[in-house]
Amino acid sequence: MKKIFFRLLAIVSVVLLARAAYLVLTAPPDPTYASANHDAVIAQLGHLFRQAAYSITWAIQLGYLAWVGLKWSKKPLVESSAADNGRG
Amino acid sequence: MKRAILGLYAAATVGLMAWAYYQAIYVAPDEQTMHEVQRIFYYHVPSAMVAFLFFAISLAGCIGYLALRRNHPTRAQIADAWALAGAEVGVVFCSVVLVTGPLWGRRAWGMWWTWDARLTTTLLLWLIYVSYLLLRRFAAGPQMQTLAAVLGIFGALDVPIVYMSNRWWRTQHPAPVFGGGPDSGIKDPKMLAAFGWNLLAWVAWGLMVLGLRYYVERKKQKAIEREQLEAIGALQA
Repeated sequence: MKKIFFRLLAIVSVVLLARAAYLVLTAPPDPTYASANHDAVIAQLGHLFRQAAYSITWAIQLGYLAWVGLKWSKKPLVESSAADNGRG
Repeated sequence: MKRAILGLYAAATVGLMAWAYYQAIYVAPDEQTMHEVQRIFYYHVPSAMVAFLFFAISLAGCIGYLALRRNHPTRAQIADAWALAGAEVGVVFCSVVLVTGPLWGRRAWGMWWTWDARLTTTLLLWLIYVSYLLLRRFAAGPQMQTLAAVLGIFGALDVPIVYMSNRWWRTQHPAPVFGGGPDSGIKDPKMLAAFGWNLLAWVAWGLMVLGLRYYVERKKQKAIEREQLEAIGALQA
């Protein structure tokens, strides 16, 4: 149950990361000052970048929590710890 | 009982995160020049503050380990577990700062990155602590924890440099929001409240993750101790 929960968190983290990358990569280019819809595009870009920043924050935080959680639920712990210390 | 308290804490933290998000997006007003992109501030600045807090915990753990390792090995292991947990969670928060900063900078300054003092010292801080974690991951032998503790102490020396960098040098990064002179501080009470809630939420979240990481590390240390005792017992038999 614990493992499934943390695996789900890992999947959510990857989805959020992909969402952030998508938002930034598909954002429209900066408008020129002469363009008619300058302010609207700037507002849209601000919105997209804010969403990307929040998504990537949660991707990092949930990804790390999932990593720690999976480490916690891994058994037997002693084998992984020995390998971690270069003694495995 | 302990499990129920931890569950309640986790649930309260998630609730606090949702409330802080609501404050940042729906309650805090738009900043006049940057508009919506300024709301990155509510994740970026608290993350930096929490990273500093956890690097301070790591520093205390490193000093504790070096001070206790000869006479109090069990306490030294506890200090070492705090040092590792603090450094690791600190790196996570510092990574958030280093990713959200360029996203904000791209809209506010028109560029992703510039080698100014605040950004460069923050990147250096992140690199030092990543090398601390890599050292712990790949170095073998009994001296590993001692070497890591020394590196952790040197890493923490960069924290005050990062904090003071936009006071000591002229930087692209804005002047300090708090404690930066008579005109500093957030004037709008709704913005200040949103910032306060987000800071509280990220501290609560960070402490939850830190506690879990510490618990996992202690469990690992105990397993290694058990394994060593069994090996000694087998040799003696």
